[in-house]
Amino acid sequence: MVDQLPNLGREQEMLAVMGLASMDDLFSDIPEEVRRTTPLDLPPPQTEEEIWKDATRLLGANVPINSRPSFIGAGLYANHVPAMVPMLATRGEFLTSYTPYQPEVSQGMLQAMWEFQTMVSELVGLPVSNVSMYDASTAAAEAITTAVRVLNRKAEQKDTIYVSELVPEHRFSVIENYTQGGGITIKRIPHDENGHVSLEAIKEAAGSCAVYVEQPNAFGIADEGITQVKSIIGENTALIVGVNAVSLGLMEAPGNYGADIVVGEGQPFGIGPTAGGPIYGIFACKENFIRQMPGRIVGLSHDSDGQRAFTLTLSTREQHIRRHKATSNICSNETLIALMGAMHMSLLGPAGLETLAIRNSAAALRTKEEIVSIEGISLEHPDSAHFNEFVVRLPDSAESLCLFLDQRGITPGLPVDILFPNFDPNLILISCTDQTSIGDVELLSAGINAWIQEVRK
Amino acid sequence: MSNIFSFNGAEESGYSQPYPIADAEQAKATIPTNLLRKERAGWPTASEPELVRHYTWLSRRNFGIDTGFYPLGSCTMKHNPRINEKIVQLAGMNDIHPLAPENHLQGLMSIFFEMQEMLAHCAGMDAVTLQPVAGAQGEFTAIRCIQEYHRMIGEEHRDKVIVPDSAHGTNPASAAMCGYSIIEIPSGEDGRLDLDALRAVVGEDTAAMMITNPSTLGVFEPDIAEAAKIVHEAGGQMYYDGANFNAIIGRTNPGLMGFDAVHYNLHKTFSQPHGGGGPGSGPIGVKEHLAEFLPSPIVSRRPAEEKEIGACDGWWYTWQKPEKSIGKVQQWHGNAGAVVRSWAFYRRYGKDLTTMSEHAVLNANYLRYKIMNPEPEVLEKIHAMPVDGCPAEVVKHEFTLSMSPLVDAVGVNGKDVAKRLLDYGYMAPTLYFPMIVPECLMIEPTETESKEELDLFAENFHKVLSDDPEILTSAPHNTDVKRVDEVWAARNLILRHTDE
Repeated sequence: MVDQLPNLGREQEMLAVMGLASMDDLFSDIPEEVRRTTPLDLPPPQTEEEIWKDATRLLGANVPINSRPSFIGAGLYANHVPAMVPMLATRGEFLTSYTPYQPEVSQGMLQAMWEFQTMVSELVGLPVSNVSMYDASTAAAEAITTAVRVLNRKAEQKDTIYVSELVPEHRFSVIENYTQGGGITIKRIPHDENGHVSLEAIKEAAGSCAVYVEQPNAFGIADEGITQVKSIIGENTALIVGVNAVSLGLMEAPGNYGADIVVGEGQPFGIGPTAGGPIYGIFACKENFIRQMPGRIVGLSHDSDGQRAFTLTLSTREQHIRRHKATSNICSNETLIALMGAMHMSLLGPAGLETLAIRNSAAALRTKEEIVSIEGISLEHPDSAHFNEFVVRLPDSAESLCLFLDQRGITPGLPVDILFPNFDPNLILISCTDQTSIGDVELLSAGINAWIQEVRK
Repeated sequence: MSNIFSFNGAEESGYSQPYPIADAEQAKATIPTNLLRKERAGWPTASEPELVRHYTWLSRRNFGIDTGFYPLGSCTMKHNPRINEKIVQLAGMNDIHPLAPENHLQGLMSIFFEMQEMLAHCAGMDAVTLQPVAGAQGEFTAIRCIQEYHRMIGEEHRDKVIVPDSAHGTNPASAAMCGYSIIEIPSGEDGRLDLDALRAVVGEDTAAMMITNPSTLGVFEPDIAEAAKIVHEAGGQMYYDGANFNAIIGRTNPGLMGFDAVHYNLHKTFSQPHGGGGPGSGPIGVKEHLAEFLPSPIVSRRPAEEKEIGACDGWWYTWQKPEKSIGKVQQWHGNAGAVVRSWAFYRRYGKDLTTMSEHAVLNANYLRYKIMNPEPEVLEKIHAMPVDGCPAEVVKHEFTLSMSPLVDAVGVNGKDVAKRLLDYGYMAPTLYFPMIVPECLMIEPTETESKEELDLFAENFHKVLSDDPEILTSAPHNTDVKRVDEVWAARNLILRHTDE
């Protein structure tokens, strides 16, 4: 029996008040031709205890990242989330509230999101942040359409944007879906053998609406050249930078090297990889993009007594007011996960953020050193700087290494051809986090050695 | 007033982390000098005790379903069972990577598969993808599939999408993002779909019609099957906005009504908590002819082989990419955590999802009756009774009330009533939507409110309608802050903290 319905067993009493005889009377307005005549072909209801049992059994069949030495990342990272975060974020007042349309009874979430906007703004070095996008890919896609709306009038290359060719397939596909309706042409920017964006090719992007690059890029490369891009493309072409948010504890805020819009996955602040969602995308921009940006924004104001108060603002950009002329269709976003992000960021503080970034990069450094000493494998970009991940060339397919080590309880990374289907199957992306231990690195190294012996047989 | 930016402790007071596994200076030196951060982010420096108190204080200044009755129409603010939250905290959910090998994700995939099947069954569709992460993204995804379908059959000239004027704003916004022009058709005088208005606009350029049923007025569209026929005969596709799906499960379905595609709001019908604005989850279901365009991945299954470790209940699950897939709309597998919460919710009901919908409709009709039929001694004190936004014997899961008579009688508008309800400890109903009802309040009680709660709300609603007009126009009075100046916020745009 379902135990979630307070009025179960009282239907007749309530129907009688209305002068109705049966539940069927409540559905008399559904024309017979469209009525369902057979009951749902679904199992009977379960109790909480039965659901818990099934959930623990089924989800227990999954292999958690941190249950073993694991080097899978590529934009989602299993770093530690302080216990305070989920405990406070799931307080019912936060968890079960809707978008704060009534500011008088929603000051808590509004203030928390205004604080979130401030922390994101500080993190990326830009003045304005929204309350969140769905993820990094939709944030990138909507950054591009925002830039086109703002800059197309002045653009010499109308409706044209440039995207780094090192944006992986699954992210690029989202960008294509979001831009095709607006008739936007996407050109790709090539990279040199070090995995650096070609500054020569960037020159061609001047006069277009926007350039989208990632820092560090999908191969974990920290690309110095990106700091020069804005001076090449000029004022009327937007520089959009996709970031690994944690890297900004160590690496320069893109706003300080000319980025007009910064986007990225906020996930490592606040929540585990959670199979890719719910997570949250960050979106921050310069002031001249505010009126064309997507998503919710919180502003400071006051109440009728003059007390400080917060409210959603600039909603005239949004779908519920502007309908088909809205800047975006986004309505539900990822506020609760952004709240978790804000909690995590505020607990870390500026010094803790730097420490976290250093732990990530130290883990990658340690792993890289250990791996390159193995005979038969080499770094794909040996002359480049890496933040927390890097690509290694193997003597056989990455898939075979993954299979071999999986049976030994190790996840060595992600075959690059999963991210880029046309790339060499012998490349693997190895990702590290603050959770990578010396023991993990040693097991990975020993495992790769054992595999190489096997390959050579 | 707790202010996070006033926390300015010493570095030592903050959160401690283990030492890096390589030399910190050496790690720093791997980043090129001109890429190193020069100035730290201006975040607060605070200790856990300070922050726990800060966020607890904030939470107490926020209204959720747990705080009180939340009759926010179109948002289906039902109780969120707590077991669902406990489940997504499991390492097998929270700590898994979407691109991990399939043998690491069999449990998740079995839940995905079960949800695909259940959602398709409930809506009378043939195939489901769980990829879209919000209702609006579901709309966008389905319209993209329709667009690719038309391109495939050589009908790419179809560039118009029809929406009723009572539609959710996301419908036209999503279609416009796909590049369509929007034709808005007026509702009939009774607030229902006007078939003549529809006939007047369909044609060779019709790509699709987007409509929700029951409509945003909370009434079932009696002519829906005829509308589908008109659109189909013109060569267009029918899109069902599933925002109001909570009203009809087990009683009818979009497939029976003639729809080709539908989105589900797992954060409405299946109790994924709204979390102050999200996360949501907006899977879509489609009929066979659109299935090959769905975004990847979709889960399919075959009997597991004995050697396959990690198999669930004898099945082996695999990710599939439909042949002509539009690709991705979110880069991973959608809001998997929301899907798992909704799975736990669905398991709680099983085939009794029908009972769930029946109770949602029972509660809406009961509350509507109680509000519209006050006792004579109560009616005497009311300045003016609201009028129904749409005349109907029965409504479905929600109803609309026009406060226009109150404006005429005492100069009190819908917003004043909404704000005054906050003083009585309620969340305000949805205000001024749909736009076709003047001074509209849209009320959706959901199935998880008790008869006593509904009785009390009706009683208090009548008190509001009887309150001193001056108290109403200056409401709210008992809230954390009084009426907030939204115009000032939009003019001054103070969007972040600064030290000045």
